[in-house]
Amino acid sequence: MPLLDVRDLTIGFTSADHRVPVVSNLNFSIEESEIFGLVGESGCGKSITALSILGILPQNAYAQGTIIFKDTNLIELDPESMRKIRGNEISMIFQEPMTSLNPVLTVGYQIAEVLMTHRGMKKKAAMDRAVDLLGAVQMPSPEIRLKEYPHQLSGGMRQRVMIAMAVACSPSLVIADEPTTALDVTIQAQILELLHSLRQERNVSILLITHDLGIIAENTSRVAIMYAGRFMEMAVTEAIFSNTKHPYTKGLLESLPIEKGVPLNPIPGFVPRADELPSGCRFSDRCSYVIDRCRVMEPEFIEVSSGHFSRCIRTEEIAWKS
Amino acid sequence: MEVLKAISLRKYFKTRKKSRGSDGLVRAVDGIDFSLHEDSIFALVGESGCGKSTVARLVLKLLKPTSGSIQFKGHDTIEFDKRALKRFRKSVQIIFQDPFASLNPRRTVYNTIAEPLKIHNLATRSGMKDAVSEILGKVGLRPDILNRYPHEFSGGQRQRICIARALAVSPEVIVADEPLSALDVSIQGQIINLLTDLKNETHIAFLFISHDLKVVHYFSDTVGVMYLGKIVEYAKTEDLFEKPLHPYTVVLMESAPNVEPERYGKMHSAPLKGEVPSPLEIPLGCPFHPRCSKKFDPCDRIVPELQASQGRLVSCHLWNPY
Ligand SMILES: Nc1ncnc2c1ncn2[C@@H]1O[C@H](COP(=O)(O)OP(=O)(O)OP(=O)(O)O)[C@@H](O)[C@H]1O
Ligand SMILES: Nc1ncnc2c1ncn2[C@@H]1O[C@H](COP(=O)(O)OP(=O)(O)OP(=O)(O)O)[C@@H](O)[C@H]1O
Ligand code: SF4
Ligand SMILES: [Mg+2]
Ligand SMILES: [Mg+2]
Repeated sequence: MPLLDVRDLTIGFTSADHRVPVVSNLNFSIEESEIFGLVGESGCGKSITALSILGILPQNAYAQGTIIFKDTNLIELDPESMRKIRGNEISMIFQEPMTSLNPVLTVGYQIAEVLMTHRGMKKKAAMDRAVDLLGAVQMPSPEIRLKEYPHQLSGGMRQRVMIAMAVACSPSLVIADEPTTALDVTIQAQILELLHSLRQERNVSILLITHDLGIIAENTSRVAIMYAGRFMEMAVTEAIFSNTKHPYTKGLLESLPIEKGVPLNPIPGFVPRADELPSGCRFSDRCSYVIDRCRVMEPEFIEVSSGHFSRCIRTEEIAWKS
Repeated sequence: MEVLKAISLRKYFKTRKKSRGSDGLVRAVDGIDFSLHEDSIFALVGESGCGKSTVARLVLKLLKPTSGSIQFKGHDTIEFDKRALKRFRKSVQIIFQDPFASLNPRRTVYNTIAEPLKIHNLATRSGMKDAVSEILGKVGLRPDILNRYPHEFSGGQRQRICIARALAVSPEVIVADEPLSALDVSIQGQIINLLTDLKNETHIAFLFISHDLKVVHYFSDTVGVMYLGKIVEYAKTEDLFEKPLHPYTVVLMESAPNVEPERYGKMHSAPLKGEVPSPLEIPLGCPFHPRCSKKFDPCDRIVPELQASQGRLVSCHLWNPY
């Protein structure tokens, strides 16, 4: 049984008199000790999906479907029980640690606070444990850094603090939303290495959200490609890159500069707004494979080969290797 | 033809943060030399804080150098009178990272692009509208957007407007400071194609600042790799990517995630340990030695000079026995 099983997840916002869905009918599962990637362009619904799993959607949002985590449907869970899971069994790492850390508390205290809240630890014991955790995330001189405030640390060190907080209660699932986007490449590589060691040594599963296809290729075992609130393709990572089945994924890959002198073939146009989606396939107005039938009805998410899903009526017809 | 040249450029900022081992000076740019040629693209790469944007501001004469100079077509820009300076400001244009922050929200597209044309008398009052429309066409925008405001556009469209504004005055140099990093993958591909067209169709010299090595490889002709305010390797793009010499260039390339098949799911360990030192306390000897896995006897004592080796310039004792 998977650790997390998401079925028909739809999330949207209520405005004045109507509801605008921004994420529709997501189906996916995350296995134990797996790094599952979620990739897509800005606004496609990655963060909203993460927030719904953690039960921290904004006030004006709604979520439908089921999110089964270890036999519990998180969507139906009461706020008090959800609070016990969050930061404890499921925790989160955000893109910009500066906005999620408290500027007036030492980083040591902020880590200790997680343990005091969820584990009922006394302050002294929690602070001792915080030093261990900072050591575990390879913070240089953890005893000294413990007493410092977020602004005294570099971006990479702040992200280490966030990770120490996220793993303080030995979670089984960590959701990392663009955890390295604000960091330099050399520091990014260090943070990704750290996430892998958590997976290996602590059996943590990770939902890794990013817009960087290179990070996906190197770090995940399976991946879902999201566009305008829909999964367009989902497969084991290697198949996504070497046996691409969806024109959107193909377009993303052809937008990357690979070989000097070879002109790029980027997806034309731009992502439509959630309330101005084209009829039929949501990618139809930018797709180079579009035919009339694409605009009639939205394609189903079909399993084209074992574990490989694609939402495109031409999946089988098109010679994907160009 | 050499259009612009930086000679021993230095910019030190004074801060109040004096401490042991620091004189309170931020050596943001610490003696760099490069030249921009007609029809060619010089890229500066390096991690956050290494001084790239400071170089851009020095080149644009938005900052006064602590020492060193900028030559424009063989003339020292320090000696420019008002008229020469106005001509210089027309000839050297900038494109920024954040296309939203660099557009005036209360100015229509028409006014944004007409303004530089008026300032430099480049179009008659009656011909203005046609001139503006023609420039918009060059960046792939239709003239029916003339009366719209920046907030009505996506990030990629705004970046096109910024590029149009830079092109309006027929510049000889364009300084592009991270022009892609705020954009989605597919939009990055579109803008890369647009810049490539400009490169092929005009004689503009580019100073292209980026931390994305893939893009630099694809787009530039020559590269300067910066570390703590200095250029540590300066080479033809092909040579650099074929065989990086400086240990910092090597780890920078290894750290960059990419989608090549041999790296699927093969998260490698981080190639570089440790953080970038503060530019307030630049290490003695080779500034890279505290993080360098190749360091040997002279590295922590003697500053390596930027010297010729294998058809390029490199500052490392490995390649230039002192
Ligand atoms: N509080 C809100 N009220 C209304 N709409 C919202 C709100 N928050 C997000 N949205 C909309 O929900 C959609 C999904 O947003 P989300 O933040 O999940 O995107 P994302 O994929 O994480 O993008 P990015 O890569 O930019 O982080 C967007 O269209 C966004 O405009
Ligand atoms: N006005 C200033 N006063 C003091 N220090 C400054 C000033 N401007 C820049 N610096 C410092 O100079 C150094 C170089 O900054 P710069 O913005 O040029 O870096 P960069 O390479 O462009 O970085 P990034 O990739 O983050 O844009 C940094 O340490 C920065 O903090
Ligand atoms: S000079 Fe020494 S420390 Fe500096 S990069 Fe070369 S080998 Fe490394
Ligand atoms: Mg997001
Ligand atoms: Mg900068």
